[in-house]
Amino acid sequence: MTTLRPFTCDDLFKFNNVNFDPLTETYGLSFYTQYLAKWPEYFQLAESPSEHIMGYIMGKVEGHMDNWHGHVTALTVSPDYRRLGLAALLMNFLEDISEKKRAYFVDLFVRKSNKVAINMYTNLGYIIYRTILEYYSGDQDEDAYDMRKALSRDVNKKSVIPYTQPITMRELRHQLRHDGC
Amino acid sequence: MAQQGMDSALFERRLRPVYDNLEVGNNRKALQESEKLLRKHPNLLCARALKGLSLLRLGRYEESHGCLQVVAQEKPIDDSTLQVLSFCYREMEQLDKIVELYQHAVKQNPGNEELLAHLFVSHVRVEDYKAQQAVALQLYKAQPKNAYYFWSVISVVFQGIRGPESAIPEKRKLYLALAQRMVDKHIKEGKMETEQEAFLYLHILKLQNKHQEAWEFLTGELCAKLYPGAPVSMKFELLKELGNWKALNELLQQLLEADRDRWDYYKEYLQSCFELIKSTPTTEEGTPNDTLNSCHKFLLHIIESSTRKTRGPYLARLDLHKRMRAIQLPAKELVGDFDDLIIEYFVLFGDKSCCTHDIALFLPSISMEQRQALANKLLAESGISSTSLPQTKEHMQKHICALQISRMCGVHIELSVDHLLAFYTALKLHYEHGYSSFGTQLLSTEMGPSDPYALLAANVMYDISFREQKSDQLFEALCLLQYVLRNSTSNFHVKLLSLKIYHMFGCMLGAQEMYDYLDIKQIQLDSMGYVHCNLLPLSGRFSGVRTCYDSTLKFFTNSYKERLEYIALTYRFCTFSKMEEFMNFKERLTNSLLYVACSVEAQLCDLVSCYGNVQQNLTAYVTMSIEPADDRIAWNELSDNRDLEAIIRWDPLHLVDAEAARKESYDQEIEVLQIRSLLLRLFASFIDLYHAPPTAKLDMSNSKTPLEPPVEDTATIELLRESWTGLHQRLRLMNYKPLSQQFLVNLLPTRLHLLLELPYERFFDDLAQFVLDLYAGAPQLAMQCKRMSENVVAVMELCVQTITESNEWNSKDGLWKRRSHQQKVAACLEILSLYAFLLSVLNDKLQASAKTKTKKKPTGDNKTQDTPQIISEKERSQMLQELMRQLKHKLEACDSALRSWKPPNLPRELSSFMADMSLKPEVEATLIGDVSATFKESHEVMVTELRNLIKDKIRIVGK
Repeated sequence: MTTLRPFTCDDLFKFNNVNFDPLTETYGLSFYTQYLAKWPEYFQLAESPSEHIMGYIMGKVEGHMDNWHGHVTALTVSPDYRRLGLAALLMNFLEDISEKKRAYFVDLFVRKSNKVAINMYTNLGYIIYRTILEYYSGDQDEDAYDMRKALSRDVNKKSVIPYTQPITMRELRHQLRHDGC
Repeated sequence: MAQQGMDSALFERRLRPVYDNLEVGNNRKALQESEKLLRKHPNLLCARALKGLSLLRLGRYEESHGCLQVVAQEKPIDDSTLQVLSFCYREMEQLDKIVELYQHAVKQNPGNEELLAHLFVSHVRVEDYKAQQAVALQLYKAQPKNAYYFWSVISVVFQGIRGPESAIPEKRKLYLALAQRMVDKHIKEGKMETEQEAFLYLHILKLQNKHQEAWEFLTGELCAKLYPGAPVSMKFELLKELGNWKALNELLQQLLEADRDRWDYYKEYLQSCFELIKSTPTTEEGTPNDTLNSCHKFLLHIIESSTRKTRGPYLARLDLHKRMRAIQLPAKELVGDFDDLIIEYFVLFGDKSCCTHDIALFLPSISMEQRQALANKLLAESGISSTSLPQTKEHMQKHICALQISRMCGVHIELSVDHLLAFYTALKLHYEHGYSSFGTQLLSTEMGPSDPYALLAANVMYDISFREQKSDQLFEALCLLQYVLRNSTSNFHVKLLSLKIYHMFGCMLGAQEMYDYLDIKQIQLDSMGYVHCNLLPLSGRFSGVRTCYDSTLKFFTNSYKERLEYIALTYRFCTFSKMEEFMNFKERLTNSLLYVACSVEAQLCDLVSCYGNVQQNLTAYVTMSIEPADDRIAWNELSDNRDLEAIIRWDPLHLVDAEAARKESYDQEIEVLQIRSLLLRLFASFIDLYHAPPTAKLDMSNSKTPLEPPVEDTATIELLRESWTGLHQRLRLMNYKPLSQQFLVNLLPTRLHLLLELPYERFFDDLAQFVLDLYAGAPQLAMQCKRMSENVVAVMELCVQTITESNEWNSKDGLWKRRSHQQKVAACLEILSLYAFLLSVLNDKLQASAKTKTKKKPTGDNKTQDTPQIISEKERSQMLQELMRQLKHKLEACDSALRSWKPPNLPRELSSFMADMSLKPEVEATLIGDVSATFKESHEVMVTELRNLIKDKIRIVGK
């Protein structure tokens, strides 16, 4: 039971119940404002009937040519509103917007250890496209999976042919620059 | 100038080291590099600008200013120089100078797109919409890009809705009509290209209440092509404005068929139904009419045809029930019995933790009796009694939900203390059972499924503590929470409640630990600052809390610097839908009450705890650049950014009015800020009278009359002193009530009553008189000295007496009053510390002037006095010395009291705490040991810090 609406600046003052979650990062303001200014429709919030923030999704659309794709930067659901299919709802929304923007696929990065999330994305039709070595830095660096789902524009499902070799952060950065991301 | 264009690559290479050094913060080296470069190329403007920036960063403002002025006068046009200069002006908040800068550059280089774009943004920063419009049109002429065209459109819109003329309805109309014509023309020429442009057009139509036109555009071909992602809520909004409830109703039915769990759709759908019955008269008395009938049927249809159970249609049905009852329609006949519906909902969704919030939505619509009866039905339905335990995690969650609802219905509040204690024991057992049955295999990032029992238990224990005005039950709850936290390290609810309890008991160390554990950062520092940072002033520590102010202030100053660039970003990406939102956000952030309050407290804290010699302290004071005569706080703009909802509660709905509590506490916080900022300014005016601010000081060194600052200085003191007593008078008349402490989650009392109770008003009022008399050498000085020494005795006695009282309390209850005792002692020491600082400054001045002049004829104030006898400087100096001696003596008395201050006695025997829990003995031992050690250590750290503070003060007045 959800209201979906665009995330607004004022929500930044109210999202603590979601952001206190240990897997949710609170970024600097410039990060949020950049997303809000550049891809406003990609930053959506789910609100409960009691007007609590249940979760939100933050993403963007970018890339050249057949690499034009939607990307999920952050997806988070408050502990009080888990197991209600909210993440799927938010992902659907982002995929829908990406379809409307004629993107070829949607991708996201996830911690290799985050079994719950990987499982969920797999159920939503995402495949593990490749592994990115030491993508997450911390006390112990952690690899990321780059997961993807093709959209209708990618008729031949070219974007989701998995990449067998893991890639390093350097390669990834180089590639992103090349793809105009 | 000529050489600049010639070899820009070469110069860029030479400038590089300066940039690099600035980037890493090596400002001194940057300065040297820029000077080196200037020796070779004295006309290289960019190097001079960079020198200006380096000086600015080094805090050498005057030199920097001179340097930048020279560059600006040259009217530079090269991008790098302009960038550096505008950077400097941004840092100095001289935004209008950036405008000038680019105006000159554009004049010399008309039609230059880049310069024009910079000029445009410089207007954006100062919110000059008219100028924005003109520049945007110039830009469009120079380079016919859509972005520029729409920049001019939005600038026209803003003139109509935000600019200085927006208050005049005719002007507003005119601007909006113009904006619409501009877009109409563009559409006609087939030039509209993006969704944000389409959004803007819709927005302009809506602002003019042209809903029909907006509807036609929104549902038209062009919009479908450009703006396929237009939120469907825009359609709702327009249909509502147009009163087309039937179309809205049909649209929503369609949408709901596809998306069966959207509350926003159901809400609009139900509204449309009720609007429809308003327009068609009821067919028969007492029977629900067709519309509601079909509404109900539709909801049933959704329920019956869904394979997966979603909360949506069930909640919508409850809402239908509620709405019908609200207008005396027979809800029961159409929809069924309310309790039955709730129970059905509970049976279906009680295993989800959001079920409590859902059911709570409908509780206010029924009577207290019905609420409590319903709560009992839910408890019975959960199937857990005093003799049974939940068999599954889902079963347990249902029980938790039923318990939370009963609390909200006011069931607990009516129980006796014995009952509550038994209830607490049951909750504790349920927690432990749930933990051992379902909670041991969790990831470290998950919350324990039985944690809510413990949270509820803590609230229940507070109820008892509050009723008995004793700390022991709450202390036990704290131990329980700390135990839960070991099992469930990521449960932030537990951390927030523990933080609250630590503060309530004055245990700063424990509070700080919980705060660090929460990892509050960035914007959370603002929205959550109320749980910790805002409680720190006068908590019993001074220098110890400074780091917390610092990290909070750092966030604010950084975002203050960046605030305008966020808005510029929306222009860059032409995100018209976000511009107003960003502007409002900027206001909210820069006017945060916490920001202002925290700045004031940090300054007071610095003045209280400065520990150098007089000269060092004065230098520190000068860098704070307080302007006593100037009230810099925009009182009417202050903003309440607290996220009070972040702390979960299930308190009886009929006893909690969140909005009223927010307003009440906010009003008091503003008053506290009034007192504190005035205290700061008043105190600064005392210092300034003797130690005039730097600019005035420069003049003085020429005039050779060091003790003769401008006349206004005494006037400032007089004025501020009047405000000071006036403010206190008003506050006493206002008769604010202390914030209710009925529930654990309520906000702690503000400092307002503490500040009024302690002798702040009188002390600083008398101090003002003393400073003025001393300055003038007025005959009543001796009397005023006597008053001051009486004041000091009173404050000292209050301090000593409070500590004695605290020690006495310690034998019956070491915690319940701890916080208020600590606050009083801190306030006394704050007063005496400020006084000590002032005396040392006054003494320093009198000594210095005695050295430079053998005899000095003081001027006194302008009033002609009947008794022109003026007390000589020597005598004044002696009186001052006497006051210092007396203060030293009283500080020593405070110190010896502090030494005797006992650490809190913790309630009850610790070992019996967790007797009924199946804790491993070693866990129990370390847990309780840790909690009590935190209390003891916190006290010791505080006492050490306060004693050090006193030691410093004794030293500065002891010389």
